[in-house]
Amino acid sequence: MSADTLHVRDLTVSYSGVPALSRVCLNVAPGEVLALLGPSGSGKSTLLHTIAGFHSPQAGEVWLNGRRVSSASRSEPPERRDLAMVFQNYALWPHLSALDTVAYPARRRGDGRNVARAQALVILERLNVGHLADRHPAELSGGEQQRVGLARALARRASLYLFDEPTAHLDSHVRGVFLAELVTRQRDTGAAAVYAAHDAEETLGLADRVALLAHGRVIQVGTPQQVYREPVNELAAKLTGPVSVLTSPGGSPRVLVRPEWASLDGDRDGRVVEVWFRGPHSDYVLVTDQGTLLVREPGPPRHERGAQLTWRLSHSWALRESTMTAEPSVSQLPSQTPSSVAVPE
Amino acid sequence: MAGARYLRGATLGVVTVAAVSVVLTPLLVMARTVWIEGGADVADILTARGLSSAVKNTFLLAVAVTVLAVPLGTALALALRRPNLPGRAVWRVVILLPVLVPDFVLGYSWLRAYGRAGFTDDLLGVHWPGVQTPVGVTVVVVVNAVPLVYLITAVGLAARSEPAMERAARVSGGTALSVLRTITLPLLGPATATAAVLVFVLTLGTFAIPQVMGSPAGFSTITTRIYSNLARSSDPLAFTEAVTLALLLVVIAVLVVAPADALLGPRLRVTRVATTDSTSVAGSRAGGRWAATGIACYSVLAMGLPLLALVATAITRAVGLAPTPENWTLDNFLAVLNARNGEALGRSVMLAAVAASVLVVLGGLVAALERSRSGRGLATLVSLTLVLPGSTLALGLLLAYGRWLGGTLAIILLAYIAKLWAFAHRPISGALDRLPPDELHAARISGAAPLTAIRTVVLRPLAPALLAAWLVCFLTALHEVTMSSLLYGPGSETLAVVVLNSAELGQVGVTSALSVVITLVLLIPALGFWIAIRGLNRGKASLSPVPPVPEPAHVG
Repeated sequence: MSADTLHVRDLTVSYSGVPALSRVCLNVAPGEVLALLGPSGSGKSTLLHTIAGFHSPQAGEVWLNGRRVSSASRSEPPERRDLAMVFQNYALWPHLSALDTVAYPARRRGDGRNVARAQALVILERLNVGHLADRHPAELSGGEQQRVGLARALARRASLYLFDEPTAHLDSHVRGVFLAELVTRQRDTGAAAVYAAHDAEETLGLADRVALLAHGRVIQVGTPQQVYREPVNELAAKLTGPVSVLTSPGGSPRVLVRPEWASLDGDRDGRVVEVWFRGPHSDYVLVTDQGTLLVREPGPPRHERGAQLTWRLSHSWALRESTMTAEPSVSQLPSQTPSSVAVPE
Repeated sequence: MAGARYLRGATLGVVTVAAVSVVLTPLLVMARTVWIEGGADVADILTARGLSSAVKNTFLLAVAVTVLAVPLGTALALALRRPNLPGRAVWRVVILLPVLVPDFVLGYSWLRAYGRAGFTDDLLGVHWPGVQTPVGVTVVVVVNAVPLVYLITAVGLAARSEPAMERAARVSGGTALSVLRTITLPLLGPATATAAVLVFVLTLGTFAIPQVMGSPAGFSTITTRIYSNLARSSDPLAFTEAVTLALLLVVIAVLVVAPADALLGPRLRVTRVATTDSTSVAGSRAGGRWAATGIACYSVLAMGLPLLALVATAITRAVGLAPTPENWTLDNFLAVLNARNGEALGRSVMLAAVAASVLVVLGGLVAALERSRSGRGLATLVSLTLVLPGSTLALGLLLAYGRWLGGTLAIILLAYIAKLWAFAHRPISGALDRLPPDELHAARISGAAPLTAIRTVVLRPLAPALLAAWLVCFLTALHEVTMSSLLYGPGSETLAVVVLNSAELGQVGVTSALSVVITLVLLIPALGFWIAIRGLNRGKASLSPVPPVPEPAHVG
C-alpha cells in the first residue's frame, strides 16, 4: 500500500447531506495512468477535488506516497500535497501572462522571479507555445489556454497529476493533439496520473487501468480491455462504448454484444432499420428475434434501410444479473470470471 | 422592420427629452447663473471665511471614509464567502441593514447610543465625546458606506475570481495567504477600485449624517453649507454661494470619476460568466470562528446598539431617565401620530411609489436602447447621474423650474427621477446582459413580433431585476432627505424632512419615535419584496434544467 502513489480508502463525501461519493477505494501505482470514467454527476470531479484537498471527506482516507493527507478529522491543504491539476475550464488567471502563470508554482516554492520565469519558458517551449509567453488568457484560443494549464501543472513537478476532463471544452481536432501531448509529457515526468473523462474512446486509449464511476460508487476497475470486453453490468458496458443487449430464447442470462463482435452474412435473420456511414466504417441497426442489434463493418454501407439480411455473432458477454446492483465490494472485482460465453441458440 | 424602427425612434425621443429636462437643463442653468449673476463675486465667494473649511472638510471626509470603508467592506465580503463561517446566512443580511435604515436615522441613533445622555451614558455612565466631532461623522458615514463596498466586492468575487482560479493557485503550491495576495485581491482590483470611486463620490454628496451629527458642533461640509445658505433665502449672495458650491461639488466628483473611468472602464466592461458556486476553499475552523466573532462585534457596535438605543429613547418618558420598564411610555409615539405626520407619510410613500414606477420604465428603456449605438451615449449620461450630488441636482432644478414648480411635490419627483435613474438602469441593464440573445432570436424565428417577443420571453426572466430596481428606487426615495430638504415647501414635506426638522428642534423623544416609524415603514415593504424576489428567483432555478422553449407564437 505504501508503495502506491495514491491510495484512496472508503472515501465518503456528501454536500449538505446529499451523498456525492460512497466508500470509494482506489490505488494508483507510480507512473500509472488511471482513468475515471463516468457520466456527468457520477462524482468524478468530487473525487478529484477531494484528492486535491479542496473538500474534506466525511469518512475514509486519502494517502499520497505513503502519507495520509485526508481523513474525516484532518485534511492537509492543497499546497502541501505533492500533486498538480489540470482543470476543465482551464482556470487561468486573467491578470497573469502565460509566462507568469507557469512561473507561479516555482514562485510559491520560493524561487526568484527570473529563475521561475526561465524555467516557465523552457516548459512553454517544450509544449510549443513559447511564443505565447507574454499573452494573457483572453488572447489565447482554447487549445492554447489548456496547453498553458498543462504547463502550469508540469511546473509543479508533482508525483501525481490530476486531469479533470481537460479536453471537455476543446474542439475535436485540437483534442487529439492535446491529448497526445499530455500523455507524452506525463510519461516523461514518470509521475502517476488520474484522468477523469466521460468520453470512453479517449479514455481507453490512454489509460493503464480504468475505474468506472456511477452514482458516487466505483462499479468496476480493470485494464481498458477488461472493462471493454467484460463489463460487470449493463451500465458499465454502456460507459465503455457502444453495446447491444440481446435476450436469449432459452431463458439463460442476457448477453452484451459490442458492434464489432457481430457481422453481416450469417445464420440468423434480421431487418435493417437504420444505416449510418461513419467514414472508416458503417453502422447498421438491425431488428432481430433477440432484440435490437448494432453491427459495425468497415467500408461504406452495403445495404439500404429496410433490407432483410442475415448476420452472425463471433463473440458475446453474458450479463451476470445478480451483480446488477453494484455493491462496494465489486470495486476490486477480479476479472478472472468466465470470459467468453457460448452464443445462445 | 419599419415598425421596430419607429418603436426605437419613439423610445429614443422619450428618453432623450426626459434626460435633457431633468439632468442637462438644470446643470446648464446653474452654470449660466454663476456665470452671469456671480460674475466678479465668484472669487469672493470661494475665498469667504468658513467656506474654505467646508470644502476642506468635505474633501477630507471623503478621503477618510474611502480609506476606511473599502478595506472593511472587502474584508467582510471575503469573510462572508467562507463556507464554514458560523451563521453565514444571518450575517449576509445583517451587513446590509444600513441599506434599509435611512442615513439620518443611523446618524441620530449613534448620538442616542454613544453621545452625552445617551444609552451607554445612562446605563454605564460612559459616553464617547468624539461622536459629535468630525471623527464621529466619519465613523458613521463609514458604517453607512460599508454595505455598498461589500455588495460590489461580493459581486466581483462571484463573477471574476472564480473558485477554480483559487483552487488552481492552491494546487500550484500557494498558501491561503499567498493566494489571497497573488490571485484573489488582484482579480478583485477593478471591483475594489469601482467601490472606492463610488464611495468617494457619494461621500462628497452626503448630507444627512454631517447635518445631524456634525452641525450642532459647528462641523460643516459643502452640502450642509448649501442647506444653511438656502435657509437664509433672503440673502441673494447666500444663494449664489450655494449654487457655486453645488457646481464645485460636481467639478470635484468629475475630476475623480473621469480618470478612474478611463482607467477602469475597459477592464470593467469585460464580462465573465459567473459561476454558481462562489464559495472559497474551506479555511480552518478556528479562522471561521474568529471571522464570525469580528462580524458579530461590528454588527452590534455599529448597528445593533445604536438602533436599540433609538428604540429605547422612543419609549422612555424623558431624556436622562434610564431606559427601564418603569420609565416606559408610548407618549412619544402618540405625539408623533398626528394628522400632519400622517399626511407627510402618505406623501412620502406616494412620491416614492410614483418615482419608482416611472424610474423602472425609464431605466428599462435606456437599458434596451443601450444595445444599439444611438442609445449608448444616453446610457453613459444616465450612469453619470450617479455621481451628481443631490444638493447640486436640487439647486439646478430649483433654478430651472422653481418659478413654476417651487415648493410642489412635482419638483421633488423630478429630483428623484434625476437622482435615481442610474439606480434603476443598472440592475435592468445587468439582467439584460445576462439574457442569452438566442432566446430572443428563438422567439422571433418562432413568429413573434418584436413587442410580443419581449413580452413573452424577456419580461419573465427580467422580472426579478425589474422588481429589484423598483424596490431600490422606492426605498432610496423614501430615505431621501438631501434634495427634499432643499425643495420642500408648505404642504409638501416628506416624512424624512419632518424627521430632520424635528432633530434640529432638539425634540429627542419625538425624533426617536419618528425615526423608528420611518425605519419600520421601510422594513415592511423591503421584507415583502425580498420574499417576492426570492420566490421569483427560485421559480427560475427550478425551471432552469429544462431547455428554454419559446412560447407558441401568437402574433397580433
